Amino acid sequence: MESHNPDGETGDKCDINGDCSPISNKDTVSFNHTKNIDDISTPSELKFDEDFEFEDPDVTEKRNELERCLKNPDLINLEQWQNFAKSKAGLISDEYRRQIWPLLVGVTEDEMTDPPSLDDLSKHSEYHQVVMDVNRSLKRFPPGIPYEQRVALQDQLTVLILRVIMKYPHLKYYQGYHDVAITLLLVCGERASFPLLCRLSYGPGAPLAPFMQATLQPTQHLLNYVFPVIRRADDRLADCLDKAGVGTMFALPWYLTWFGHSLNRYADVVRLYDYFLCAPPLFPVYVTAALVLHRAPDVLQCDCDMAMMHCLLSRLPDDLPFEDILVTAKKLYEENDPTDLEAEVNALEKREEEQRKLDQERMKRRQAGRVAPRGGGWLGALPAALRRPAGRRAALALTAALFAIYVYYRPELFRNREDSPDL
Amino acid sequence: MSDPSEPVPGLKQRKVFKIIVLGDSGVGKTCLTFRFCEGQFLDKSEATIGVDFRERTIRISNEDIKLQLWDTAGQERFRKSMVQHYYRNVHAVVIVYDVTKPETFHSIASWMQEVESHGLLGSPRVLVGNKCDCGTPESRLATSYAQRLADKYGMPLFETSALLDSECDNVESIFMTLAHKLYSKQPLRVVSVEGERGPRLVTLPRQKRSNTSTDSCLCS
Repeated sequence: MESHNPDGETGDKCDINGDCSPISNKDTVSFNHTKNIDDISTPSELKFDEDFEFEDPDVTEKRNELERCLKNPDLINLEQWQNFAKSKAGLISDEYRRQIWPLLVGVTEDEMTDPPSLDDLSKHSEYHQVVMDVNRSLKRFPPGIPYEQRVALQDQLTVLILRVIMKYPHLKYYQGYHDVAITLLLVCGERASFPLLCRLSYGPGAPLAPFMQATLQPTQHLLNYVFPVIRRADDRLADCLDKAGVGTMFALPWYLTWFGHSLNRYADVVRLYDYFLCAPPLFPVYVTAALVLHRAPDVLQCDCDMAMMHCLLSRLPDDLPFEDILVTAKKLYEENDPTDLEAEVNALEKREEEQRKLDQERMKRRQAGRVAPRGGGWLGALPAALRRPAGRRAALALTAALFAIYVYYRPELFRNREDSPDL
Repeated sequence: MSDPSEPVPGLKQRKVFKIIVLGDSGVGKTCLTFRFCEGQFLDKSEATIGVDFRERTIRISNEDIKLQLWDTAGQERFRKSMVQHYYRNVHAVVIVYDVTKPETFHSIASWMQEVESHGLLGSPRVLVGNKCDCGTPESRLATSYAQRLADKYGMPLFETSALLDSECDNVESIFMTLAHKLYSKQPLRVVSVEGERGPRLVTLPRQKRSNTSTDSCLCS
């Protein structure tokens, strides 16, 4: 389909099916692991294309079918494209993705317009934040990409993001949005990725729209669906996560970037995007649940501690079986519709709110305690000297002495009381 | 507000100090924590989304202490809702600014408000001016200017670079200072460690331009 060919000048940049990380880079143990670009930039990188030699016969058959369909794309309906995207191996290669992703989201050729220049956009209030994040997105570029090409792509990325948030001024840029944008840019080129990103960011059911509100409260709320889904599938695992109080932060970058930020392998990222582009907006949360369920043995073995658990969960191994995880996620979605989970999510949020209030009260007591070291109450009314333990001991001794003197001089008062118990 | 005496499940044998690292986007929070925990510069760091976690075990007075560093996202929208959860049980605070970007220094006031709103004003805190390898001496924020603000808030000031190997000791001393402060005030309320002797005299490692007024605050 001609109308969805990528823009010519970036066409060569889109043939990037590289695996963005060395396979050997397993990070299951190291807590402080951060992906190192130097490991990635070695020219000996595995290329996605090399996988063709070992291609599954089903996938080869699918590839042939996809090519047949792409010869006459107008004869294919949306549902058929969605089936390709969701079923095993997704859309297989960026060559097909480039043409099919716009169709999945319903983007037309008229919407693919030339971008304005970077200079025109540099006055935007978010410009510096966007540039800063884009400049730090090196890891997302294919290994071995020439410097000039990378810089050109980074400029395109900045323009792409700013175009969208200028078109919809009420949408707020978030760190992580650039990870979604770059995936679209690498696959579809700058002309097609603009309407694609617009469609994902704005409109009813736009999956990224909740992330772009004034605060992250709506995102937090949606992420909370992960716990009821896990609980319904594995009570013991849910208890374990609950007890550690791990929260949902480990999954925040997954959800905000559709895993683009957190996965080392480019092939995994685009495979997930195939699915997410035609799945319900909350589907990545179900994939999160499926992923945590998949890692249940590790989670159950982990120290029941928030930090350790956060660490374990947030670092994703490179060998996750995403085809299986997607199948599980689909099943979880079918069995636990979001509307059925609302009550459980509300209960969870109510508990969290109560905990937050308790924390706040505790904090206030502590703060008050610093002003009056023993913390308010009746002691607060005592002179400062009495609030210190030594002061209190001295005061007690003084009182006892005065009392003894009093009794010594006025013994009759006490004797009278004892002598007349029948009053 | 922090409470070092709270037992950490599963880690009863070791003291754990939880330090949160705050500051504007791009000032180098991730590189600083990476330098301390991994001993090297993180060459191509990415924007932090949400909260990252790193840790390192150090030794004070023959005792292993685990320092947990919580590296937070700089963008404001992450602070308002999500990061709140991670302030729970924080023991100490590091506020970072970029010496070549005055606006990141001017945000310190709002970071202090944030710290105050979580009741952490009584906890050990340090101010770190990062990237002192960048720019020309004229383009960098004057130390005396930064010191004045540090004094106002009663925090020691460190100027360092997560990039330079020569500054490695200085990065080390930022976190070691906090660890020693926490250690010295901790035995008074410790419950998680048995056989604890009384508070010990602590010698602070090299520390740039600390002054006496800051100490009174840190020990409170």
